[in-house]
Amino acid sequence: MTALPANSISRSSDRLISLLLLPVILIALGPILRLLGEGISVGTGAPLVHAAEVLTRPSTLTALQHSLVTAGAGSLISVLIGSAFAFVVALTDIRAKAALVFCLMIPMIIPPQITALAWMQVTGPSSVLLKTLGIAPPLGSPQPLYSAWGISLLLGIQHASIIFLTLRAGLRMIPGDLVEAARIAGARGWRVWAQIVLPLSLPSLAAGAAMTFVTALGNFGIPAMLGIPARYSTLPTLIYQRLAGMGQSVLAEVAVLALLIGMVAIAGVMMGRLFLRRRSYGLVGLSSQPLSLSLGSKRPVVETVLWGFIFCTLVLPLLALVSTSLIPAYGVPLTFESATLKAWAEVLFRQPVTKRAYLNSLMLAASAAVILMAVSIPLAWIMSRRPTRLTRAVDTLVDLPYALPGVVLAISCILAFMRLPFGFTLYGTLTIILLAYLSRFLVVMLRPVQAAIGQMDPAMEEAAASSGARLGRRLMDIVLPLSAPAAAAGAILVFLTAVNELTVSALLWSGGTETLGVVIFNLEDSGDTVMASALASSIVAVVIGLMAVVQLSASRLPKGTVPWQG
Amino acid sequence: MAGLKFCNVSKLYAGTPALDGINAEIGKGEFVALLGPSGCGKTTLLRLTAGFEVPDKGRVTLDDRVLADGGSFVPPEDRNIGIVFQSYALWPHKSVAGNVSYPLEVKGISLSERKRRVAEALDLTGLTAFADRSPAQLSGGQRQRVALARCLVADPRAVLLDEPLANLDLALRGAMQEAFTAFHQRTGATMVYVTHDQTEALALADRVAVMEKGRIRQFAAPEDLYDKPQDCFVAGFVGDGAVLPVRDASAPAAGHVRINVLGQEIEARSQTLTPTHVCVRPEQLRIDAEGPISGRVTACTYQGGRFRLTLAAHGATLITHAPVRASIGDELRLSLHRPWTFCDPSASASAPVEAHA
Repeated sequence: MTALPANSISRSSDRLISLLLLPVILIALGPILRLLGEGISVGTGAPLVHAAEVLTRPSTLTALQHSLVTAGAGSLISVLIGSAFAFVVALTDIRAKAALVFCLMIPMIIPPQITALAWMQVTGPSSVLLKTLGIAPPLGSPQPLYSAWGISLLLGIQHASIIFLTLRAGLRMIPGDLVEAARIAGARGWRVWAQIVLPLSLPSLAAGAAMTFVTALGNFGIPAMLGIPARYSTLPTLIYQRLAGMGQSVLAEVAVLALLIGMVAIAGVMMGRLFLRRRSYGLVGLSSQPLSLSLGSKRPVVETVLWGFIFCTLVLPLLALVSTSLIPAYGVPLTFESATLKAWAEVLFRQPVTKRAYLNSLMLAASAAVILMAVSIPLAWIMSRRPTRLTRAVDTLVDLPYALPGVVLAISCILAFMRLPFGFTLYGTLTIILLAYLSRFLVVMLRPVQAAIGQMDPAMEEAAASSGARLGRRLMDIVLPLSAPAAAAGAILVFLTAVNELTVSALLWSGGTETLGVVIFNLEDSGDTVMASALASSIVAVVIGLMAVVQLSASRLPKGTVPWQG
Repeated sequence: MAGLKFCNVSKLYAGTPALDGINAEIGKGEFVALLGPSGCGKTTLLRLTAGFEVPDKGRVTLDDRVLADGGSFVPPEDRNIGIVFQSYALWPHKSVAGNVSYPLEVKGISLSERKRRVAEALDLTGLTAFADRSPAQLSGGQRQRVALARCLVADPRAVLLDEPLANLDLALRGAMQEAFTAFHQRTGATMVYVTHDQTEALALADRVAVMEKGRIRQFAAPEDLYDKPQDCFVAGFVGDGAVLPVRDASAPAAGHVRINVLGQEIEARSQTLTPTHVCVRPEQLRIDAEGPISGRVTACTYQGGRFRLTLAAHGATLITHAPVRASIGDELRLSLHRPWTFCDPSASASAPVEAHA
């Protein structure tokens, strides 16, 4: 038995905290803080004139207006779709809810540039699907998706699941007895929905709408694929085009643009938080399924409508994408004779660029997942068991790199890692992309692990301490095995998101460090639609497969680990 | 023998004292219960003994070795104290045998020795048949026994139990109480048992420390707590009955004192020179046709074999037992038989004023 000075129990874990928090703060928060620092110096010194000049340029104002219009209209569409699904799934007795929710989540996980590519294969004069069916519009007629409406529609479909998830979570927090009280007062099903459930769920809906707006604002893949051909720029595509066209000489200018979009996004996040806080007011009581409306004879109709919607927004575009990938050359209709796997073989086995991109993306995603898993378990443990003002600040700030638009993070990373001491630079290497991924996806990994450790009875660790196990041993023997399932689910989510990432890598890649997202975008940009479709189809298969793995293991994971399960 | 000793131990939480000058000595092999309402500090005292909390002041020693005082602190890992948590805290990823053998693994004990001791601990708690099950497959009582086996296997110098029966149903509680007693007799371990259930505390423990607001109000054998409470809190918290202020006490002699209570002069037991209150247990208040006190029945509840009557008499509320049902509003004659008087520390200052009022 060794006696220690009384204050050393806190000191020994303090050492662990500083060891871990330092790299986390440097890598996860450093770039964003660096950009904010840039913003402050812009706001005070001579560069203010430059910033004002950039901000008042017609191209900036047009792009800002386009961003607000498409993100706004897209959010509205998301609200319509997401809330319809949320109310029906949460409040009625339709069948096969799990399958429906799973299908609704797929558009969120499929990368936006693939969504755009797939939809482009549904509409327009050269659609293989329409040609095969013989209903394609005449050649030369415009692609209807190359417009503000097209961008808004796809943004709306892509982000509907955000509304769905927040609203469903809000609905689950409504105490069941509020509804029971209304029924005792004589109100029936629909009246209860309109007068009790709907008003109580409005704050969640508004919070979800704010989150959707911020996400749509940062979306790069959809406006890049649909807007650039139509010369319709949003802020992210404007930044991309300036940086791709002019190189590092415009860094100061795009930093101003990044700050602008960051500002708009932060305003959106703040609004969302405000609504979410309001949601917690006064709702005390046992929460349960608030309402179980029996649809009766209308149930098959409602189910048909919902599944029909899933077919139109998910199955149809993917079908079009796959059919395009199976033709020998763009423009040839798909028949049993013309169908070929040539493009698949080309992208998967022959083309050095696509092979390299696969390798790069898989390696980046796997490294990010593994590193974040190793960091997240002790980090989440510290945040939960040894909270300090610093850990609480990290807990709040760690959302930033993920919530802010990807272009903002990319610009931040360029600023932070371009000129390191001793003339060293990371610009143009895979490392800078990896660092950006670590920063962006830390929160994706951290939250499930936090949920797992939060649900863990602290007495489990105390029992181990009483058994003589010291901190390191307790983390290995007790915390690690118990949080491992959540960490694995988080790692798969990180992998899924990182392997398809476009926005950050579009600004950070250079020859040799292409990612899958970049290559699909470039293939389509240079007219290789068939190869782009084949590559995209193979990625969709990987994505849906990984999602299925998570879904199937959901019952063994702690509550709150799988984002689309509640 | 010196078991566990607390010297002037205090602990503050955000400025308010959770423990306020605790002084107590628990003998080696003694079974002690810490009893009190929630928030009284009993769990804090237990966690402080285990080493999960650091005292702000005072000293804790075990077998004459200092566990914590102003300058030094032995972390929980090095104390060799076993603890059974209210939630049992069984590790769900380990089997029953895995849970029980973990403390031995940490201590680096050889595999053969480990197997022998795990088998012994499982046998002692009647769990041999469940060795390979996972904790999730066990019932509440079985999980409780796994937690007990896990804490015993390392041969701890003291066993701490934090409301171990709170999550069990009534029937199982009785069975587990017997199991604890039998276990204590077999191992002779020093045991500290936290509970808010006085029946449990009085039934199990050699001595009970009644706690309130971070202080030990009385630390005595169960029968003494019931029969000779030292202050109003203990008298009211432990056992049934009424606590009444005393007037015009005579000088006590040979443990007896004549006091004026409910308008009567009666004889009471006392160990204090200045009794301020009297504790009247139901069996000390008898229904007696010749009795000098008149009381009106205000409530009557059946308690199995007898009725518990609440009576209003001289502006006080009294409790007694009756073999037959009484109707509310009935007037009964009552007599008092040797109740216990004590001097309540907080009331002693105001007692003389009250006496003249």
